[in-house]
Amino acid sequence: MATQANPEAVLPAQGIEAPRSGRIDPKYLRSRTSRSNFEMMAWVFMRVSGAALVVLIFVHLWVNLMVGDGIHQIDFSFVAGKWANPVWQFWDLTMLWLAMLHGTNGMRTIINDYAEKDSTRAWLKAILYLSAAVIIILGTMVIFTFEPCLTDEAGNLLEGVAPEFCHGV
Amino acid sequence: MQVHKYDVVIVGAGGAGMRAAIESGQRARTAVLTKLYPTRSHTGAAQGGMCAALANVEEDNWEWHTFDTVKGGDYLVDQDAAEVMAKEAIDAVLDLEKMGLPFNRTPEGKIDQRRFGGHTRDHGKAAVRRACYAADRTGHMILQTLYQNCVKHNVEFFNEYYVLDLITVEEDATKEDGTPYKQKRVAGVVSYDLASGEIHIFQAKSVVFASGGLGKIFKTTSNAHTLTGDGMAIAYRAGIPLEDMEFVQFHPTGLAGLGILLSEAARGEGGILRNSEGERFMERYAPTIKDLAPRDIVARSMANEVREGRGCGPNKDYVLLDLTHLEPEHIDAKLPDITEFARTYLGVEPYTEPVPVFPTCHYAMGGIPTNIKAEVLQDNETVVPGLYAAGEVACVSVHGSNRLGTNSLLDINVFGKRAGIYAAEYAQGAEFVELPEAPETFVVDQLQMLRDATGSERVGAIRAELQETMDANMQVFRSEETIKEALAKIGELKERYTQITVQDKGRRFNLDLLEAVELGFLLDMAEVMTVSALHRQESRGGHYREDFPDRDDENFMLHSMLYKDPEAETEGIQGIRFDTKPVVFTRYEPMERKY
Amino acid sequence: MSTATVENEPASTVDLGESGDGAGAIESFEVTLKVRRYDPERAEDAWWDEWTLTMYGTDRVLDALHKVKWEIDGSLTFRRSCAHGICGSDAMRINGRNRLACKTLLKDLDTSKPITVEAIKGLPIEKDLIVDMEPFFQSYREIMPFLINNSPAPTAERLQSPEDRERFDDTTKCILCAACTSSCPVFWTDGQYFGPAAIVNAHRFIFDSRDDAGDMRLEVLNDKEGVWRCRTTFNCTDACPRGIEVTKAIQEVKTAIITRSL
Repeated sequence: MATQANPEAVLPAQGIEAPRSGRIDPKYLRSRTSRSNFEMMAWVFMRVSGAALVVLIFVHLWVNLMVGDGIHQIDFSFVAGKWANPVWQFWDLTMLWLAMLHGTNGMRTIINDYAEKDSTRAWLKAILYLSAAVIIILGTMVIFTFEPCLTDEAGNLLEGVAPEFCHGV
Repeated sequence: MQVHKYDVVIVGAGGAGMRAAIESGQRARTAVLTKLYPTRSHTGAAQGGMCAALANVEEDNWEWHTFDTVKGGDYLVDQDAAEVMAKEAIDAVLDLEKMGLPFNRTPEGKIDQRRFGGHTRDHGKAAVRRACYAADRTGHMILQTLYQNCVKHNVEFFNEYYVLDLITVEEDATKEDGTPYKQKRVAGVVSYDLASGEIHIFQAKSVVFASGGLGKIFKTTSNAHTLTGDGMAIAYRAGIPLEDMEFVQFHPTGLAGLGILLSEAARGEGGILRNSEGERFMERYAPTIKDLAPRDIVARSMANEVREGRGCGPNKDYVLLDLTHLEPEHIDAKLPDITEFARTYLGVEPYTEPVPVFPTCHYAMGGIPTNIKAEVLQDNETVVPGLYAAGEVACVSVHGSNRLGTNSLLDINVFGKRAGIYAAEYAQGAEFVELPEAPETFVVDQLQMLRDATGSERVGAIRAELQETMDANMQVFRSEETIKEALAKIGELKERYTQITVQDKGRRFNLDLLEAVELGFLLDMAEVMTVSALHRQESRGGHYREDFPDRDDENFMLHSMLYKDPEAETEGIQGIRFDTKPVVFTRYEPMERKY
Repeated sequence: MSTATVENEPASTVDLGESGDGAGAIESFEVTLKVRRYDPERAEDAWWDEWTLTMYGTDRVLDALHKVKWEIDGSLTFRRSCAHGICGSDAMRINGRNRLACKTLLKDLDTSKPITVEAIKGLPIEKDLIVDMEPFFQSYREIMPFLINNSPAPTAERLQSPEDRERFDDTTKCILCAACTSSCPVFWTDGQYFGPAAIVNAHRFIFDSRDDAGDMRLEVLNDKEGVWRCRTTFNCTDACPRGIEVTKAIQEVKTAIITRSL
């Protein structure tokens, strides 16, 4: 712009910078980062995982609480029995992963929405991702490394805890 | 203070300004100075349509359009200009469509057209479908489309910069016949940045005025609060004459009491006006085209009904616009906005109840005189090199004494485009005119004076009294007595204006100060308008004198030209010089104006 | 359709009955206007001012502001122009909701309590009710709000069926008043979000059958500050003085981005 600033301004706003000299507060400027489909995928994932979780969770609750003896049947051996079946192993694994990712992404969104300072946002997200990772890894390990037939030091099955099928081994 | 240098500076970012900017921005370094953000301009309030003889729905041609424009303006139209406008109207509409304007469409996908007041087939035989439209938001769409294209072409806007003075210099020159005269040349403009209160001088090779009208002279008006005649007043103070200022259009259908516009499209789509007896009174005043007669005739008929006691409401001070015989779906499709206005502001449901309406000040036919290249004239024929004007601020004159509906949207597009092209072309071949010593002095002194003033008068009070007196004395019916009363009041108010006080003393966004400046413009323009009206002892178009109810072609088939001249006196008012300018005739002889 | 209605000449005279009386006399009442003021030339912090005014049934919030400015305190500063809801200058927060001051009738508000008026949220306040609109218009400019058509233009108009025209009608109504963007809770904390208004204006071109650059606009809005920031709180739809279904338009843009990637 062919603009010459005159040092002897005739009517300057005293002590105040001209509110608009073509500049925009940096907090409104978008960083030109590479465009990716991540946010779109995240958005789609929330809808798909949400729908899937409704099925997964309600079947889970129905099987655990309504079928057979209902709530009274739940004990160590009930869980062990379920996880002896690969279908239930897969079911619970899916439920764990979807629920954790769904929840984490939801929390990420809330942090994005409400954290005003960049540093706060970064810290909160770091804690969130770490805790999500720990739970997912732990949960996955439990599902796959679960030992249904607990024994005492002598190698005998623990009575009343180990499920029926352990006795057949 | 800052000094900026541009090839072309455009003052105003309404339809005309932005249309000019699109052309000029692609050809020369262009700055647009606007006292509002561009999309706030009052072009957006236009509703009904933009006429062009596209003949998309029925037979039509631009020559008929020219005739309607000339007849509508009661033969005070410069016919060469009207021809240019009617002819270029077709391209103006197509240009807009290609820029993206979402017109309503015919079933074949072409631009749809509808009827509008005063637009007829074959020289007045019947109403014709000529107005291209986008529901009742045509002006809004034009303004948005033009702004969108300014964004596309990276036009440089200076938002909320008030232009307060035009910098001109005078040179000695001689005419072809050897008589010496003072040739004006334009050097730039002085502007005020609302945000910081700083003065910015824009030096420019070409300056285009496109700053709109002066509707706020009147109390009942469809115009925005910001339409205070700034451009006209600035040009006038710089020694440029003003042409045909007595002609102001009163739009027949303003919401009663508020002045908010209800488009003529309401009548184009079949709405009719009724008095307190339920009578469709326009059948008496314009038997052929009835409710679609030109605006001056309808407005006067309405005022006459009220005057003769056939007004409606508790005070019998308005008539009714009846849409109840139309299908609600039809109203929704074609007139969604204006029916919403009736609901929001008057609580009237247009499907079932007629809407109270009364004439509202709408448009100034007069303004800064230009030729068909949009070049500003400093007298009857001398062009000011580099100075252009387009839109309502200008008087080409395509509207004569009464503008036809839709022709303003046409005017801004046709002459805005021309102004942009010619201003850029001129700038490409011209040098900067050197700025005179301290060109900002007048503005700085004026602002300082207003800021320091410690009088007892308030801007709001003076403005309200001005508007009251103009409404009472200078509306659809005028006479020597009422005009003189207005003139006396304006004189008194001008005196009181010197005693005002501005409460806001700050630099930042000081709108209080700017309203005081605008009041000064309003007072100047009101005076010019009334003097011009007093001088015209005849009735023509928008100017109706009860003491001279007939048109007088022998004495008044002339444009009025008013100059600011401290040594002259007109109609007892010191400082105004009156002159006339002949009307340009090409093919239409004046006839009696009947519809 | 339109032909039929016009060609059927309406009756010369009708019985107006009750409707001829119009609205009747206009009542007057007292209102208290409470405005959040800010002027860095006078004080560092914002403050509240209160005025009690006598107003009339047809008066709008803008009339009350004018009454204060013209008769009591000239330093009260706000933008306004057309005064009937089409220029978009006077969007402000009235009783906590984004409204145009010229379209909000006082009698429609609860006049037993003070009417609070503040500047719209999320944009930097410059003075009283005036905010810096630059960030808003910057987002608008970035979505390329203009028709892009790469095919050679015909001599006459480009054809478009009434159905194709209808497809984007709703979003052509936008007046850029910023009521929607500044009502969006996401925008309040994240100024980088494009905001509803920019998306609405992108929608207007994405769904225009004459436009060729829909993909480019969808790419722009696929940004992390684009449509995916929308939480469908419907504040924008509620705030829009033009009755645009803003949230619906945003959803349509989301759907378009997803269908494009599939």
